[in-house]
Amino acid sequence: MSERMELSFTLNGAPVCLTTEPGRRALDLLREEFGLTAAKEGCGLGECGACSVLVDGELKLSCLLLAAQLAGRSVVTAEGLGTPDAPHPIQSAFADCGAVQCGYCTPGMTLATSALLAQNPDPDRDAARVALSGNLCRCTGYVKIVDAVLAAGAALRGEKP
Amino acid sequence: MIRRVFRPTDLARLWPLLADGALAMAGGTDLLVRRRGQAAVDVALLEGIGELAEIAAMRTGLVRLGAMASHSALAASRLVTARLPVLARALLALGSPQIRAMGTLGGNIATASPAGDSLPPLYALDALVELASRHGRRRVPLAEVILGPSRTALSPGEIIAAVLVRPPVSGSLQHFEKVGRRSALAIAVASLAAVIETDAAGRVASARLAVGSLGPTVLRCPAAEAALAGQRLTPDVLQQAAGHIRAAVSPIDDIRATAAYRRQVAGNLLLRLAAGE
Amino acid sequence: MPDNLSPRADALAKATGTERYSADETPPGCLWAGVRRAGIPHGLITGLDVAAARSLPGVAAVLTRADVPGTNRQGIVHKDQPVLCGRHVRHCGDAVALVVAESRDALAEALSRIQVECTPLPGVFDPEAALLPDAPAVHPGREGGNRLAYGLVEKGDAPGEFAAASDDDVLVAGEFHTPLQDHVFLEPPNGLARLTPAGLLDMVVSTQAPFRDRFEIAHALGLDPMKIRIRAPYLGGGFGGKDGATVQCLLALAALAVPGRFIKMAWSREETFLAGYKRHAATVRLKLLAKRDGTLRALAGTMLFDAGPYAHLSGEIMALGMEHAGGPYRIPHTRVEGSCAYTNNPVGGAFRGFGVVQAGFATERLMDALAVRLGRDPAGLRRQNALKPGEHNCVGVMAEAGTDTAACLDAVMAHPAWTGREAWKQAAPAFTRRGTGLVAIQNAMGYGRGLPDAAAAKLELTRQGTFRLYNSVPDMGQGNASAFVAMAARALGQPPQAVSCVQPDTRICPPAGSSSASRTTYTFGNALLRACRAMRDKLLARGALALLCDTPERLELIPGAVSDPVTGRSVPLARIGMMLCRDDRICVDQYIMPVVDHPPDTGREFKLGFPHRFYSYGACLCAVEVDTLTGTVRLVKCLLSVACGRVFSLSGVEQQLQGAAAQGAGLALFEDIGLTRGRMRAGDLSTYLIPTALDLPDIECLALDDDEPSGPLGLKGMGEIGIHGPGPAVAQALYDATGLWVRHLPVSPREVLEAMGGPLS
Repeated sequence: MSERMELSFTLNGAPVCLTTEPGRRALDLLREEFGLTAAKEGCGLGECGACSVLVDGELKLSCLLLAAQLAGRSVVTAEGLGTPDAPHPIQSAFADCGAVQCGYCTPGMTLATSALLAQNPDPDRDAARVALSGNLCRCTGYVKIVDAVLAAGAALRGEKP
Repeated sequence: MIRRVFRPTDLARLWPLLADGALAMAGGTDLLVRRRGQAAVDVALLEGIGELAEIAAMRTGLVRLGAMASHSALAASRLVTARLPVLARALLALGSPQIRAMGTLGGNIATASPAGDSLPPLYALDALVELASRHGRRRVPLAEVILGPSRTALSPGEIIAAVLVRPPVSGSLQHFEKVGRRSALAIAVASLAAVIETDAAGRVASARLAVGSLGPTVLRCPAAEAALAGQRLTPDVLQQAAGHIRAAVSPIDDIRATAAYRRQVAGNLLLRLAAGE
Repeated sequence: MPDNLSPRADALAKATGTERYSADETPPGCLWAGVRRAGIPHGLITGLDVAAARSLPGVAAVLTRADVPGTNRQGIVHKDQPVLCGRHVRHCGDAVALVVAESRDALAEALSRIQVECTPLPGVFDPEAALLPDAPAVHPGREGGNRLAYGLVEKGDAPGEFAAASDDDVLVAGEFHTPLQDHVFLEPPNGLARLTPAGLLDMVVSTQAPFRDRFEIAHALGLDPMKIRIRAPYLGGGFGGKDGATVQCLLALAALAVPGRFIKMAWSREETFLAGYKRHAATVRLKLLAKRDGTLRALAGTMLFDAGPYAHLSGEIMALGMEHAGGPYRIPHTRVEGSCAYTNNPVGGAFRGFGVVQAGFATERLMDALAVRLGRDPAGLRRQNALKPGEHNCVGVMAEAGTDTAACLDAVMAHPAWTGREAWKQAAPAFTRRGTGLVAIQNAMGYGRGLPDAAAAKLELTRQGTFRLYNSVPDMGQGNASAFVAMAARALGQPPQAVSCVQPDTRICPPAGSSSASRTTYTFGNALLRACRAMRDKLLARGALALLCDTPERLELIPGAVSDPVTGRSVPLARIGMMLCRDDRICVDQYIMPVVDHPPDTGREFKLGFPHRFYSYGACLCAVEVDTLTGTVRLVKCLLSVACGRVFSLSGVEQQLQGAAAQGAGLALFEDIGLTRGRMRAGDLSTYLIPTALDLPDIECLALDDDEPSGPLGLKGMGEIGIHGPGPAVAQALYDATGLWVRHLPVSPREVLEAMGGPLS
């Protein structure tokens, strides 16, 4: 293929450096070079949100980002929020609210939630729906996902459930 | 497929790359979709060129919107929400949160889609586009930059640097409505941007109307604007102007809607302005 | 309130992104397989040049029909779908050549270099026209021509009733159409395969039916099914679209061609639209006769399903639709004929609701027509005719005891969304109109008579004293795996953390059928509870040895131990686990769903899957707000009630109802594949629109008290029923709001606008 580049960025809080093709999709880079498979490919077209990641805190589509665009950025995937043993409150809220069915959209949904709560710690249901509107879910009808966003907000504000 | 990716940090470094055939890439939300499965190309990212993302009020009274400002940055800008709410509303109806975070105003113009959501407000605001190349800069009315679907008047080696808009006088009516087949991630079936200045008696001093997805480009409707001039926004007056809009548009049938539906709705959208009556 | 499935056992691994789906299996150095598809709806291949592709660097194999061993025929019941087309192309998505390459780029390049020459043939795109004598043959020389299947179900004497209709009776009739629908599971079909040096074909596939897949692959490729191993990790959605071969046979073929290497196939979203199965488009013509007082007398009509070019389960889907054509109503005389037609449209297949979506829309619309004719409230008319336990449904099967449709209707009719509907309608804001609709819904459970709805469940005591549950039925998101964990933990008196769950693997799990037909939790759950009972008895008996207890009946299985309340002594399960040999640590038991005892003498054409014994019932309210300037319809309220046996998990019931209703709402308002002469104008997620979070209301659910004595913990299947509500309920609501009489789905804003303001030129 083409010439490769040295690429450095912060991934889930840790500095990383590798040599790769600059025009590769960030999605493939994360999944195949780093084994971080939380970001999923649902359409490859920016229409489903399953590949969402946080780049410098902003929710972006890794299927429409080039590897080179990650240079110097801070990238967070769902793996970076928490783990099954030490889940992030957002992830716990999704589990506790029954917001996870097939789960293929869930990592992207949790990151959309993270981006929202960083801007608006106490969103109402309408605001939650706006924030989730770039992440398609075919299983849930979104009700319990919206529940989870609000529950996560409450948890992060330190309120008891 | 993308081969090489350049990340110039200023315009001086950009020009030779473009001269060598690299494509200028703004947010990439359109370009990367269109390049899928195509022959490999080099791209030059505009995102590292700081000056292109600035949003600022100028001493001339114009507002300068950097071409690389993202839709979400613009929609969150106090300057835009306060002085150009018609644009802010349109940008919040565009795509999804992710697309708004990635896509840029300049990219929306360069894509030159009649369904570009930022375009009807910019047409209604009589926006000027600042084009830049190694030969210098020029300011061109937006309607002269966009020639047709995916066609612009940009010369080879030229990029969109900024959009310049004069905010309407305070108290003006700024209205935007998009009709899509769903409430997010929707391509406009029809849209209307209206910037209307009224006098103390509530009569229209000036009306600027632009519609999207109703022809090969976004379109201003001078006949409808004239029909509103000097009138109050009553249902009868709006109905008459709506007829002018329907006569002016040239919509198509596609998977999203029929031409007849689009034409009808193009006029109907204007009727919503009677809501405040 | 504590809930047996809150949180689900799978939720945190999925939310943190650590759960591995089939799509996530990409071993380093794996090859990539992909397919060149025909791209024309009907034609003959006159030339296929793969030389340029084969000679590209990085291409491991290029395969055509000539390279396929075996029958080259796949299909669940009827084997009529080629793995690779030799000569005859029957739809745009037909596979013509298979490429295996070292990278995705090389694969794409090679696929683009394959030259396919086709002579187009006249296509048949209208199922009605397909059944005419002079229609182009989709399968030339086939006995029966393009009529893939035919069936008749009847009860009483419907023709006689219609003939005897008097002025005291009311007759309504209509023709209704429901469209193709794409599943839009978020994980596109994909899999990983490797032919091991020992000759085992080892596959990981996103599939709803791993056990059947082995036989389908073996039949198509001439292999020994027992030398195929299929694992089915959690699916990123299925909804029926992964029931039947997607990547399986192609991927197996690739693995045979390049032995020893891992080979991955992952369809793009566009390829999924092109080649994946769809809900059948159907045209349903029904007439309904009633007395002036609203009592239903007779129903008759026809259902025509567009099968596309391959059978899949078309006949079975049609049969289930016909079985539901009478709705959950008491109708003494019925006669419904059904046909499936081969066409050159996309392949029809299983999709949540399986023929019932098509039938229910028509039946409910006719009930609306009758209500309008009689000046009756549509809910009251349904209530009057609701089928009661002990009465016979439209094919003559007696409704089982349990909570019925009337109770489901009552629950919704008592809700403020119904009682307050007039005031709400009057309060419509400027430029809007409002309306409310309420319909009854039903869905049968299980495969039906003729095809044993069976499951075997395996449970293992580990040497650590915990339990390993071998789930044999893929979890495509519905949560059956978590339900099984919760059920087993409860049956064994252990905390859920003590029960781990292995996902389906044909090598180590006993067969248990497919993840489909609202059967999974019922059938496997019953088998599992039996296995749990066997395990409990075993542990008490083995524990008795350690406790020197000669009356094991007095022993108790407590968390982590077997205890003797008399002596106060106990033996840890870990000790028992260490003590037993592997064979003795395992319990396997099975269950077969009971069938209708005395099946009515009708539907004789249906060898498999007719009739059904168990039904879940429900009701659905939808309220819409219509924009008078644009015709845009917003679904602003959606409420479902359901009677589905005992509720094991309210959260689980809500998850299924809300998700199913969301798909029904998509069908009602958004999803349009834009089929024109065999080609889809909507072939990706920017043109085929499913609802976003901004397009749906907070869907409310009412799960009624009910009990199914044969069910595991009293439950019945309910994974499908919710999808039947929104289509007809939105249609009724639109009539209430605008007077639009909806005959087909989805409803377009243009139609709504025309209903309010006259035709658009």
